[in-house]
Amino acid sequence: MFKELNPILHSQLRLAVMSLLISVKEAEFTFLREKTNSTSGNLSVQIQKLKEAGYIDVVKQFKDNYPLTICKITKPGIKAFEEYVLDLQSYLGKG
Amino acid sequence: MTQQEKQLTEKESLELITTMINKAKDSYHNTGIGAMMWGFIIAVCSLVKLSELHFNYSLPFDIYWLTVFAIVPQIFISIKEKKERKVKTYDDNYMDQLWLGFGISIFLLIFIINNVFYAWEPVAKEYNMLAGHSSAFKFREFIAPLFLLLYGMPTFVTGAACKFKPMLWGGLLCWVCCIITVYTTIKVDLILTAFSAVFAWLIPGIIMERDYRRAKHGLAEANV
Repeated sequence: MFKELNPILHSQLRLAVMSLLISVKEAEFTFLREKTNSTSGNLSVQIQKLKEAGYIDVVKQFKDNYPLTICKITKPGIKAFEEYVLDLQSYLGKG
Repeated sequence: MTQQEKQLTEKESLELITTMINKAKDSYHNTGIGAMMWGFIIAVCSLVKLSELHFNYSLPFDIYWLTVFAIVPQIFISIKEKKERKVKTYDDNYMDQLWLGFGISIFLLIFIINNVFYAWEPVAKEYNMLAGHSSAFKFREFIAPLFLLLYGMPTFVTGAACKFKPMLWGGLLCWVCCIITVYTTIKVDLILTAFSAVFAWLIPGIIMERDYRRAKHGLAEANV
């Protein structure tokens, strides 16, 4: 039996965000929006879902009087991402 | 990406992960201004010192004080670059610490060299008095190789770690010049130091600045 893929990560935009965050220490919201080519509204919703799952930390602050959102992957996020990749590989290997 | 959550196949998921990881890797863009500034300053200092020796004159101040004054704009450049970064990579941290360590090493080297000079001066005078001629060993002939040895280290590591060939070759060039300057006169040492600064920092800095402007321009276009 194949293990079910983590539904939180098995979504295009959330997976894209997690793949970006696993490669860097932290990233601003605008960076994630530029790299994923998504809209602010959609990205905000997906970031909130990742935050609620405990996969990312979101820090809101101000930079030159403008709001700034910084995202960072958490340890449970790294673990979930690694497990997701292993599950994917087992699917592709056995499929 | 679309507003609707697209159902991914396993293969598409792996492709997306690879694409995004590569995009994140491409996000490190140094403005190159610091490298350009230091390359220019070290080259100017070496060439001015060379002209002082060659034309037998001396400026009312030591031209190398320029390197101390350049620390002020460097601090501003570093703060500005950090503020403009939309992403912090693990490489940023290593690079910052590497170049900070290099700066500290340079000042320690200057401190050591000054102390050796003070210790060597009376010995050289005594030798001159006793032997009737000056010693064949001239410590200042060995200063350039020590600096070039240090210049090569962070330059080579940055070039190799960031896969930025102009700096990698620049670092190697510093070490080649380090070996050559052990055997050459101080005038040649100064020419080779200026040459190394141009190829290790000034030219890579210009290339970095050009790449940074292109990347910024690309992002600006993507946001239109």
